[in-house]
Amino acid sequence: MPHQRFPKVQILDLAPHEMRFILSDTDTSMANTVRRIMIAEVPTLAIDLVEFHDNSTVLNDEYIAHRLGLIPIRYQAQNSLKGGDCNGAFLPHQECVCYERCPRCSVEFEVEVDYDKENAKRPEGERDMPITVTSRDLLSNNSQVMPAHFLSEEEADEAHDEGISIVKMGPGQKLKLKAVARMGISKEHAKWCPVAVATYRFWPVVTINEEQCATLTLEQKQELVDACPDRIIELDEVTGKLVEAENSWDIATFTEDLSNTQRAMKQRPEDDDFVTVEQATDRFIFHVETTGAMDAEEILMSALRVLKDRLNYLAQEVENLKDL
Amino acid sequence: MNAPERSAAFQLDEDSGEVKIVYNSDTKISNAGTFTLNKEDHTVGNLFRMQLLRDPSVRFAGYMIPHPLIHRVELRIQTSSSTVSPVEVLSSAIEDLNNETDHLISQTTDAIEQWRKENDQGGMGQF
Repeated sequence: MPHQRFPKVQILDLAPHEMRFILSDTDTSMANTVRRIMIAEVPTLAIDLVEFHDNSTVLNDEYIAHRLGLIPIRYQAQNSLKGGDCNGAFLPHQECVCYERCPRCSVEFEVEVDYDKENAKRPEGERDMPITVTSRDLLSNNSQVMPAHFLSEEEADEAHDEGISIVKMGPGQKLKLKAVARMGISKEHAKWCPVAVATYRFWPVVTINEEQCATLTLEQKQELVDACPDRIIELDEVTGKLVEAENSWDIATFTEDLSNTQRAMKQRPEDDDFVTVEQATDRFIFHVETTGAMDAEEILMSALRVLKDRLNYLAQEVENLKDL
Repeated sequence: MNAPERSAAFQLDEDSGEVKIVYNSDTKISNAGTFTLNKEDHTVGNLFRMQLLRDPSVRFAGYMIPHPLIHRVELRIQTSSSTVSPVEVLSSAIEDLNNETDHLISQTTDAIEQWRKENDQGGMGQF
C-alpha cells in the first residue's frame, strides 16, 4: 500500500497469434519481469519422451524425437476455441503422485505411418511420390490437446503441407512411435517456450522547443525533418512550425541523426536543442507473438499469474525468516 | 559430463538442504543484511531492488548474481533506522508488488474485455 504503483494496460491490437499493448505507470523492472516470465517461465505442453517401435525412415530416432519436441502443443479447455493455459489442467511431472505417467500429468500421442499402405490409398497422379509425415499424424489420447498445426489462417493457406512436417518417407519405409507430452517451462528447454517474440519498446517523448525553433529558417526546419530516418517530426505547411507526427510513438527508433544535425545547426554549442526525443521511463509498447501453442492474451495472463504465485511463495518464505 | 541438470536453474536442491531464502545480518554495519535467494535470477532480483528503492526508510538496496552459472541472487538491504529491519522492509516491498500484480491482472482482464467489445469479436480463438 505505501509505495505501490497502479499500472495501466491499453490494448492496441489483439489476435490469437499476436498482441500489442501499452503498459504504463509502472517501472522498467516490472516491464522486464513480465517480459522475462513470458519468455522463460510460462508453463506449456511439449513432447518430452518418445518410444520408437519402428523407424526405417532416413532420419534417425533422436532426430525425429527432437523435431517432435519442438512441435507446439495446444490445450483447449472445454467449450473454448482458444489456445488456453494448461497450468491448471495438468500437474507438473515432478509433482504428480503417479508412478510413471498418467492422464493428469501427461498426454500421449501416437504416430503410425507405413508408406506402402498409404501409397496404395492414394490416387494415380500422386503414386510413388514421397509421403510427408506431419503434425496431423500425431493422434492424441486427450481430445482437448492437439498439436498447433498453423499459426493463423494465412499461414494455413500458404503452406505446402497440412501441418508441421516431421519427416518425409519413401517406399518401404515405416514410422511407428508413441510420444508423451509433459508440462514444463522454457528455462528447462526452449521447446516449452510459448512465445516466438516477447519484447517491449519505450514510448518516445518528443519535445519541440518553440523559442529555439523560431530562430530557424524554413529550409533549416525542413533539414531537421529530413534528418530523421523514422520521420517523427513534420513541418506544418500552414503555420510553418515543426510538429510531432501523429504516429510518432509507433515509428520512433531513437537514432542519433537528429541530435547530430542539431549540433551542426546550433549557433552556440551550449544552446538548447530545437527538438529532443527521449525515452519515457514509465510507458512501454509491448509486442508478443506466439508459437501457436497458446493465445497471446492467455500467455500474458499466465505470466501475471506465475508472477503472483512467485511473489506469494517468496512472501511466505520471508515471513518464515521473521519468526526465526 | 559436467553439465548440471537444466532443472537446477529453478528447482531447489532439497537433498543438500537448500532453502529458498537465507538472511545474514551484517556484523559491521547496523540495520543492514544480505538475503540470499536460491534458484532465482534477474526476474525477481531487479524487481525487488527497484521496489525497495522507492521506500524512504531504505538507505541502501542492491542485488547481484555472484556467478552466472550458480543460480543465486544476493540482495543487500540497509535501512535508515533501527525501528525498521531489512526483513520488514522486504516483506512490505513484496506486499506492494503483490498488490501491483493484482492490479495489473484486473487491468489486463478489463482491457481485453473492452477491446473485444469494441472490435466485436464474437467467436474467440483460432480459425
